[in-house]
Amino acid sequence: MIATTRARRGRWISVAVFLALAVIWQILSMVYTVEAQPGEPMIAGWQILFTKTFLTLSDYWQGGLGVPTVADGAERSYLAALLSVLSHSADTIGRMALGLLLGGAVGLLLGLAVSWSRWTRRLFDWPLQFLRTLPLLAMVPLFQLWFGTYFLGEVLFVAYGIAVIVFAGAVNAVRNVPQIYIDNARSLGASRWTLYRTVILPAIFPAMRSTILLSLGAGWSAVLGAEYLGAQSGLGFIIVYAQQFAYLDRMFFIALLFILYTSISYWAIGRLSARLLAWAPPSQRR
Amino acid sequence: MSLTARSKTQSDLSGSLFSRLKTMLAALDPFQIAGVILFVAIWQSLTLRLPAIILPTPLGVVERLFADFLSAPALSYYGVSEANLYGNLIYTAENVAVAVIAGSVIGILTGLLSARFGLMRAIVDPIMMTAGTVPILVAAPFLLIWFGVGRASAVCLVVFYVAVILYVFAQRAATNLDPVYEESARTLGATPRQMVRDILVPATVPEILGGLRIALAGAWGLEAIAELLGSQSGVGKVLEALAGATDPQGIMATLLALGLTAIIVDALAALAVSRAASWSASAR
Repeated sequence: MIATTRARRGRWISVAVFLALAVIWQILSMVYTVEAQPGEPMIAGWQILFTKTFLTLSDYWQGGLGVPTVADGAERSYLAALLSVLSHSADTIGRMALGLLLGGAVGLLLGLAVSWSRWTRRLFDWPLQFLRTLPLLAMVPLFQLWFGTYFLGEVLFVAYGIAVIVFAGAVNAVRNVPQIYIDNARSLGASRWTLYRTVILPAIFPAMRSTILLSLGAGWSAVLGAEYLGAQSGLGFIIVYAQQFAYLDRMFFIALLFILYTSISYWAIGRLSARLLAWAPPSQRR
Repeated sequence: MSLTARSKTQSDLSGSLFSRLKTMLAALDPFQIAGVILFVAIWQSLTLRLPAIILPTPLGVVERLFADFLSAPALSYYGVSEANLYGNLIYTAENVAVAVIAGSVIGILTGLLSARFGLMRAIVDPIMMTAGTVPILVAAPFLLIWFGVGRASAVCLVVFYVAVILYVFAQRAATNLDPVYEESARTLGATPRQMVRDILVPATVPEILGGLRIALAGAWGLEAIAELLGSQSGVGKVLEALAGATDPQGIMATLLALGLTAIIVDALAALAVSRAASWSASAR
């Protein structure tokens, strides 16, 4: 009872903190009116962000659906701005989601395969450690050279970043499965295959939860990093493009959108994994 | 009593450093070495099928690393101010060091304070949690505009990242500390300063240092991409130049150099952590 009221109080305080930040931003925009270039304030107030800034985002609409692009001489319109925001968001989220699925599946399968016996685990230990210490974000140029700056290159880059983390997490989780579970199943006559399906897979899931949340963060930074360096669409593309002209208000708008998406993804994965883990004893649910 | 025990274990530790190295060598697993050989062999066999412009041979990459390490004149044509890997690695390492130190001071202080003062926690927590879930990379272009192209923007980015991670670790360490320690110290008449110095700091140091290593590991990549986005020198700038020249051998050599630096620094940090927290069971 006390815990719930405290949690509710905490939630109200965080809402108040975010509101306060928004108000401070607005006050700053009124006090500090320096312009990055004529007509482009360094700090854009909310009334500008949701009208003029939003409208200018129609510049990034790439055409289609009967809505003409600004590049073709059409007027900026709210419809084009909305379509532009939606299409670029869809690109970013699509790359992220595909990379997450691909990288997660490959990483998990490889991790389970390597954990098949103690010998394979020792064999793959050092190369795995090495791949993990290679700084992921510094590898963007390599992936772009290999797979291009289009969809495939970015998806594979995200998938690689996630696969390495999931792979290492899976190997570690299988190693930490209590030996007694395995012995117990073995003595009841389980084959290696049955053992994997019915004992090891469920047993590593609690430990994999933090790995999944970790890889989510790595995936978002990977997709952003790849879009900063040469993608032709997506939220990161808009940010870097706007940065070249010092359109700070557009950058801020897109950054807010990005914050919204990442927060939703964390919340959703957190809720989903908590529900899938409802069976686990609370000490394992971290 | 506890003091003598502590100094004894410390002298044991330094005295046995050499013999520990020996036992580590003896414990080297032949399978791990076989794994590395297998890894290189697979890479080598892939190069037989792929053109060198896609995948250079492992030997070529290592040779390139040694060749470029002290002098790589080609880099100066692409506007890298120091035409070798060594100088750029130093530049990057300096930035990472400054950022990790500054970020950890901020993160540890706010983390420890927030664990003890409810109001501060209520205010700082939502900000730090949002900053922690959103990849900090989204701030990079803003920093480039505010601070210009140079050290400051890259360092600032890494400071943010390190501060958020250490905030979480410091706060968790202080929150999970069994209150019985602080209560008994208070019963024995400890002043608030003594409480911080003799209870809070020693008890939380092992966990915080573990967080420091995690933050350090991520800092290299973030620093590199900040340099890729805009810088005059550093490993990121080298990577940008080599990518412009479509030189995968050079890119892989540079990545190898950066990865090896990260491994060495992490090993040094692990050693420092085990020395600094040698009395703690969790740090071993």
